[in-house]
Amino acid sequence: MADTATPVLELRGITKRFPGVVANDAVDFDLRKGEVHALLGENGAGKSTLMNILYGLYRHDEGEILLHGKPLDIDSPHEAIAAGIGMVHQHFMLIPVMTVAENIVLASEPTRGNVLLDMSAAEQRVRELAERFKFRVDPRARVEDITVGQQQRVEILKALYRNADILILDEPTAVLTPQEAIELFEILKELVAHGMSVIFISHKLNEVLEIADRITVLRRGKTVATVPREGATEADLARMMVGRDVLLRVEKQPASTGETLLHVEGLRVVDDRGLEAVRDVSLEVRAGEIVAIAGVDGNGQTELIDALTGLRRPAEGRITVGGREMTHASAHQFLEEGVGHIPEDRHRRGLVLEFSLAENLVLHDYAKRPYATRGFMSPRRVLDKARRLLEQFDVRGGTPSTPASALSGGNQQKVVIAREVDRDPRVLIAAQPTRGLDVGAIEFVHRRLVEQRDAGKAVLLISLELDEVLSLADRILVIYEGRIVGEFGPSVTEEELGIAMTGGRREAVA
Amino acid sequence: MNAFAGTVDRYAQTPRRVAWAGIVVGTLAFWLALPPVQARAPWVPIVVGLLAVACGIWALTRDVGRLAWGAVAVGLIGIGLGVLATRSSTGHLGSVVTWGSLIGSTLVWATPLAYAAVGGMVNERSGVVNIGLEGMMLAGAFFGCLGADKFGSWEMGLLIAAAGGAGFALLFAFFAIHLRADQIVGGTAINFLALGVTGYFFIQVYGQNGTPGDLPRIPNVNIGGLHEHTFFGDAIGHLNIMIWASFVLLIVAHVGLFHTPLGLRLRAVGEHPRAAETVGISVYATRYVAVTISGILAALGGAYLSIGFVGSFGENMTAGRGFIALAAVIFGNWRPFGAYAAAILFGASTALSFRLAVYSDAASVLFQALPYVLTLIAVAGVIGRSIPPAAVGRPYTKQ
Repeated sequence: MADTATPVLELRGITKRFPGVVANDAVDFDLRKGEVHALLGENGAGKSTLMNILYGLYRHDEGEILLHGKPLDIDSPHEAIAAGIGMVHQHFMLIPVMTVAENIVLASEPTRGNVLLDMSAAEQRVRELAERFKFRVDPRARVEDITVGQQQRVEILKALYRNADILILDEPTAVLTPQEAIELFEILKELVAHGMSVIFISHKLNEVLEIADRITVLRRGKTVATVPREGATEADLARMMVGRDVLLRVEKQPASTGETLLHVEGLRVVDDRGLEAVRDVSLEVRAGEIVAIAGVDGNGQTELIDALTGLRRPAEGRITVGGREMTHASAHQFLEEGVGHIPEDRHRRGLVLEFSLAENLVLHDYAKRPYATRGFMSPRRVLDKARRLLEQFDVRGGTPSTPASALSGGNQQKVVIAREVDRDPRVLIAAQPTRGLDVGAIEFVHRRLVEQRDAGKAVLLISLELDEVLSLADRILVIYEGRIVGEFGPSVTEEELGIAMTGGRREAVA
Repeated sequence: MNAFAGTVDRYAQTPRRVAWAGIVVGTLAFWLALPPVQARAPWVPIVVGLLAVACGIWALTRDVGRLAWGAVAVGLIGIGLGVLATRSSTGHLGSVVTWGSLIGSTLVWATPLAYAAVGGMVNERSGVVNIGLEGMMLAGAFFGCLGADKFGSWEMGLLIAAAGGAGFALLFAFFAIHLRADQIVGGTAINFLALGVTGYFFIQVYGQNGTPGDLPRIPNVNIGGLHEHTFFGDAIGHLNIMIWASFVLLIVAHVGLFHTPLGLRLRAVGEHPRAAETVGISVYATRYVAVTISGILAALGGAYLSIGFVGSFGENMTAGRGFIALAAVIFGNWRPFGAYAAAILFGASTALSFRLAVYSDAASVLFQALPYVLTLIAVAGVIGRSIPPAAVGRPYTKQ
């Protein structure tokens, strides 16, 4: 379908230096009319920098940008928009309290008599655009009331409304559920069929192989290669991205399970709005196994995790850890009882971003020997521990005194895992442990989780990623609307899981 | 999901209406004991007030919550005030409560607040908190006098006042927007600066004698034919031009904010400046304009006070009205009509407090605190929570 003759856009030898780093080093990239061209690379490989240059947010130091063969100077997003370039940012640029139509027409509003806003014309335009590209969105809905997937469509509509013919999507699936990702791909196919060209930034191999016509791999700011989708494999791409062979599936022995360490019975948990989010959940995790809870985001996972770590009081039910009654225990008591917790949101709950790595690594035990004696902390012992853990867990980009905020996402996650695993917990609760990480870091996290399992720990994995669930879990529980609606073995197919996750079928709970 | 929410809404409607009715009936309980109806039997306000309480309780049992508690409270307050009114002499009541002149003086006291509140709402909508409203108002009061005196016309007075307010606003804007200074600290500094500057020039220019007695005043609009009518004559017969202009301002502010592209952009900047920037709106320019508008409006409010109403300037003559205007912005939920209504309510409490001074100084002082009590209640969310613009008070850094 791609027209191979004319590159719509060409980047030649783009170099961008930041103090101390070369973010883009003579990068070449071209985009043809009607294609999806994926930009693949690890976090920090320079993908976002390159696109920010194209969108006028940064100035490049060397190289040139050609639009339809003509050199183009882009100094601000305004000029990028004028040149027909639209961008869907990873963090949506939408105003939650305004309506869909208001967000879309903002700054180029239809008017009556050049003075008054013409909202009915705006709504009409939005409806027409959405219809042309075959998706549904209510122009009058407020953005805060619609789903993340719909919000992303609003972002795409914003670009279309401004007559973009080049669309940049920055990690668009990071915030989507698997179902929403499929819908997004349908929309992208529709856009391309209408002659648009799409740049798709990602670090996820499977989706790149699914949607892209061509794939350009960046590593440490340099172009590694541009390859057509045909003939490319996940293993090849991973090697190009990381620079070495990567194990995409974790190798593990069959589980040898022991006694039940985490036991939950008839648990009901109420969310912040007072609605029942977890409904009558019973489960058990035995020593030496990984039990995964699979489900679409927002089906009670967060509240379940909160209850299992003492952060939220259950309304009903029982929780025991190693036979001990923990239903109304505090977060501190859970920690003391040997429950490790890798939180969903490492920025808000996993780390104190302003604190140093050393301080973050002793967040649980700072008041205990040997890190403190008689109420005074011992900086030397804290530093010793930090040095040992940073080395052991291969945390890069920081010393014990570096603030946690300075690290990349993958390395931050390593710090959280180091802290939790080093306390030698009996039960490890890992909530979306690889969210936002790239293949290299994912491999690392997965290996650690399997190590914990093999060391006889009970691991409860909560994940939205089916790949992850399938490759790690010994047993899989599917959660839907706060209930466990099915239990599967590790050999279940993605389709079966997908159906259960959307409530399509209920199985008897084992 | 949506269908579900819709059903809930429909069920929730009736009890909410009953709760609102309770609030109205509760007010009625007090009103019945006042002129012109002036029921003298204490059972009248009691019965009517209990009806309001009953409405509130009925709504409470149907999960209305805050609004229902509001109805109960208004009912009880209505009984209390109503019974009090029945026990005071008709003479007193007559002198305090003469509706026509009460409405007239309410408008007089509300107008300076209304200008400043509409201005404050504009800049808060752009994401800037303007504590300096008070100082800008004071500047307007002084420069209004100065302009009217030196040029011999009230029009020039207003113009100079506006320029003075704009000057302080631009200074504040430069610190708050460009230098990203803390807006509360910057605004407080503006208040003290305005106090100092106006005080200094006041003494320099007018010395011990004060502003001249023959200052050109902003004229009143005397509506012919209404003079004989006691109610309308007192209420709207001879209002100041600035009061009538404030009604126009209200309409312009509402239409401008909610029905023009510029208003949409202003609100966008106050909610999510980064998003506004990515579609090509200049956050800095928008905020500069908004702060300047607020400075001009606050100054016009101040000028009305000095050359429209009082006819002279005195040191620190705004006496905290800028802060009450800020409270009106919050009480009015960052909407023009809301802010204006709040200004009227606060104006009414001031007007009433002056009337009450006739027979009780204590009650008069109590009434002056009413705006703040009401604002506290509004912030606590008794009648729907006030939701500020998301980015208010946060300096914006360009990328």
